[in-house]
Amino acid sequence: MDRVEQFRHLRRIQEIDFVLVELNLYLDTHPDDLQALEQYNWLARQRAGLVSSYEQQYGPLTNFGHSLNRYPSGWDEGPWPWEM
Amino acid sequence: MKNHRKTPNPFIHQTRVWFPFVSPYDPCPPQRTKTYIVPPNQYLGFQPPNLPQFPPGEALLKGTLWPILYSPYTKTSEREGED
Repeated sequence: MDRVEQFRHLRRIQEIDFVLVELNLYLDTHPDDLQALEQYNWLARQRAGLVSSYEQQYGPLTNFGHSLNRYPSGWDEGPWPWEM
Repeated sequence: MKNHRKTPNPFIHQTRVWFPFVSPYDPCPPQRTKTYIVPPNQYLGFQPPNLPQFPPGEALLKGTLWPILYSPYTKTSEREGED
C-alpha cells in the first residue's frame, strides 16, 4: 500500500485548502481585489483536480453527496481521511 | 534590551517588556521583567492588496498566508527581554 504517496497527496490538498480559507476571508473584505479573486479561482480548480485524482485512487474524501462512493474501498472501509 | 522603547519595526519586534513593582515584602523571588506579544495585525489596519504571500506548504505550517501577519507566540522563556 503506498501510504506515503497517499499522505503526500492528502497533505497537498490540505495546503491548498488552507490557502483557500485565507483567500476566502480576504475576499470577504476585498471583493474588488481581482488578483486575489483570480488566485482563489485558480486554486479552487487546482483543488478540484487534486481531490478527484485522490478519490479515484484512494476512495471518497467526503460524503453526503460531495464525493462519489464505491465498493470495495468505499467509506465503509477505513482509514478515513481524519484517521490517517 | 537597552532600546526596548524604540521598537523599529512592530511587524518583526513583537515582544514588549514591562517591569512589575518589586516589593521588599515579596515572599517569592521577584520577577523584574515580564514580556507580552503585540500581534502585527494591530499595526496593519485595513489590509492593502497584493501583500507578499507564503508558499502553500509554509502557509499551512505558519498559520497565515501573509508573512507580515506572522506572529509565533513563543514561550515566555524564549522571548528576547525575558531574563
